[in-house]
Amino acid sequence: MLSPQNQATQSTRLTFAQAINAGLRQALELDPAVFVYGIGADGPAGIFGTTSGLVDKFGPRRVFDTPIAEAGLAALAAGAASSGLRPVLVHQRLDFMLYSVDQVVNWMAPWRFMSGGRAKMPVTIRAIIGKGWGQGPQHTKSLHAWFAHVPGLQVVMPGSPADAKGLLLSSIMSDDPTLFIEGRALFSMQDEVPDAPYFIRLGEALVRREGSDVTIVTMGSMVPLCLQAADALDASAISAELVDLRCLMPLDVASVIASVKKTGRLVVVEPGWRMYGAAAEIIATVAETLGNNMRSRPRRVTWPQSAVPTGSKLEEQFYPTSDDIVGACRASVTEASGAK
Amino acid sequence: MSATMSETILPTRLRLYRMMYLIRRAEELLMAEYHPANEMRCPIHFCVGQEAMPAALSAVLRRDDVLMSHYRSHGYYLAKGAPLDAMVAEFYGKATGANSGVAGSMELGSHDYNFYSGAIVGGSLFIPLGAAFSQKYRGVDDISLSVIGDGVFDEGIAYEIFNLAALHRLPLLIICENNKYAAHTALERRQAVTLLAERAKVFGLPIDKLDGNDAELLLDTLQRLVPQIRAGKGPHFIEIETYRFCGHVGPGTDEGMGYRSAAEIQQWKARDPVLTMRKRLAESAEGDALEGVEREVEAQIHAAIAAAKRADFADINDILANNWSGGYSSVVDRFTGASAPIFRGDQSEARPGPF
Repeated sequence: MLSPQNQATQSTRLTFAQAINAGLRQALELDPAVFVYGIGADGPAGIFGTTSGLVDKFGPRRVFDTPIAEAGLAALAAGAASSGLRPVLVHQRLDFMLYSVDQVVNWMAPWRFMSGGRAKMPVTIRAIIGKGWGQGPQHTKSLHAWFAHVPGLQVVMPGSPADAKGLLLSSIMSDDPTLFIEGRALFSMQDEVPDAPYFIRLGEALVRREGSDVTIVTMGSMVPLCLQAADALDASAISAELVDLRCLMPLDVASVIASVKKTGRLVVVEPGWRMYGAAAEIIATVAETLGNNMRSRPRRVTWPQSAVPTGSKLEEQFYPTSDDIVGACRASVTEASGAK
Repeated sequence: MSATMSETILPTRLRLYRMMYLIRRAEELLMAEYHPANEMRCPIHFCVGQEAMPAALSAVLRRDDVLMSHYRSHGYYLAKGAPLDAMVAEFYGKATGANSGVAGSMELGSHDYNFYSGAIVGGSLFIPLGAAFSQKYRGVDDISLSVIGDGVFDEGIAYEIFNLAALHRLPLLIICENNKYAAHTALERRQAVTLLAERAKVFGLPIDKLDGNDAELLLDTLQRLVPQIRAGKGPHFIEIETYRFCGHVGPGTDEGMGYRSAAEIQQWKARDPVLTMRKRLAESAEGDALEGVEREVEAQIHAAIAAAKRADFADINDILANNWSGGYSSVVDRFTGASAPIFRGDQSEARPGPF
């Protein structure tokens, strides 16, 4: 497992999509039980390049296209995983996998529980969120909070290319069913990505940036916007600490609490709907733990409680920006302190 | 059920009968205990009347074959060789249960014997589909079996599974027990066209339609089909006509609910699969052994019920810890330690590019 010590390693500058591709390639190399499938998995577009070239290297037994049968494909994953394999099922949009909620929630999630702790369910489901460029109501849903609500599931949301590779490898090698949520908006983001395989233990948040005035907790596609916001806040002498959760489940509560204890302030930035979401859970957990020992009330930056519009101007107004994050942090820091 | 001496040396027909009798008597004795004692506190769907197919399967399956059935599952659990004691203890919700007491009857399973079941209609197609994929992928000659009811044909997922099984030529045998009713609703009230096997056929699955109450006939068919499936000839579909003597759930008969007639029930009871088999054996040279087999089975069931009653419940904290394993493949271990390639934790260079 990864430990946060510095160690020299060869790396290459990759996009997020290339990092996913590299992770899949190494998982296929490391374990003959791994196979990758989904609509277009062996196709010319390679699912935004994330599966390009895999079928050429590993053959159609291990990398294959499928009928448009999300429920049946998830059923196949459940059975294969219960029988010694490590399936990686790819959905080009998370919205499409809703046909398979029965397989995921009724069968994969409680499989180990129902067996009295005897069985494994090592399934990885890659689900892509199509934020931006007119993806509209049926290509943009990020139902991470739905799935994180279900006992037995893991929900992983990488926010950088390097994390995407390490978290994907860990998801595939994990013995529990894992929903791996990828923000399409991140696919062209570039980063140094280590060449060799590496694993990031699921449920370990990363403090991407240390700060003293306010804690920003975020995940997935909002990570880069939060980094931008933190830079902008620096300019006005507000020091923001950025906690990238990387996984919603397991949730690294300790890292969040430690950071908020230090800064006394919390802004949660979530790429999803406002009500009953991950931000609500995190704020509730912090409030239960720290009570009145905060310097200002917690805030959240989320999508409006609305389906996503398509038109470019509408979309622009719909999604939170780094300015919104800056605004929330500024308000958190300047709020007239109450009791403490 | 641990293999007893007599079981292993019994001739095939007597073994077939022994399994049918075990399933029937276990259900009858459990039904007798169910309400009065109120110690089995979970919904139970009894399979009285549907013993022939599980008994026939018990003669052709191996431990490594995977079988998943619908929630009327007890016969199939026993047919797979899984222990009677653990099944009964599971109904009592005890730690010694096959699922440590968390599943009851509806999700009864035995990981060690590759037997599974579940409460949601259609689910018994899922695990066998993927298990058959795994068997083909790994190049072994084990097979997977899915036992469904006619109700599954109401669900859209059935057709995706038929297609995937045929498309990938998986070693999968799907058995549909057509017992005419889904809970309290007759097939004719649910479907405009009531042909079942024919629908599997158009997806590319060869089919057989058989009398589901004749264990010997079923065994003959399975002895022909199963080796073909093991040999990679692709999936197969069997529809059997059968009938549940009990009500949908619980030990009653659903008498007075009005969804099926007393005459219909009587007509099927005249074709009782266990009595039919017993009659054939009684008239044969093996007839003398019947009573001994029955006595032994009876004692085994009484012992299982007594043991289940005595057993303890699991510790709730152990049970709550079973939702996630938190474990990883041993592949990961190769990358731990000082020599492992490790990325800098801070990832300070990670900044958004143009997107």
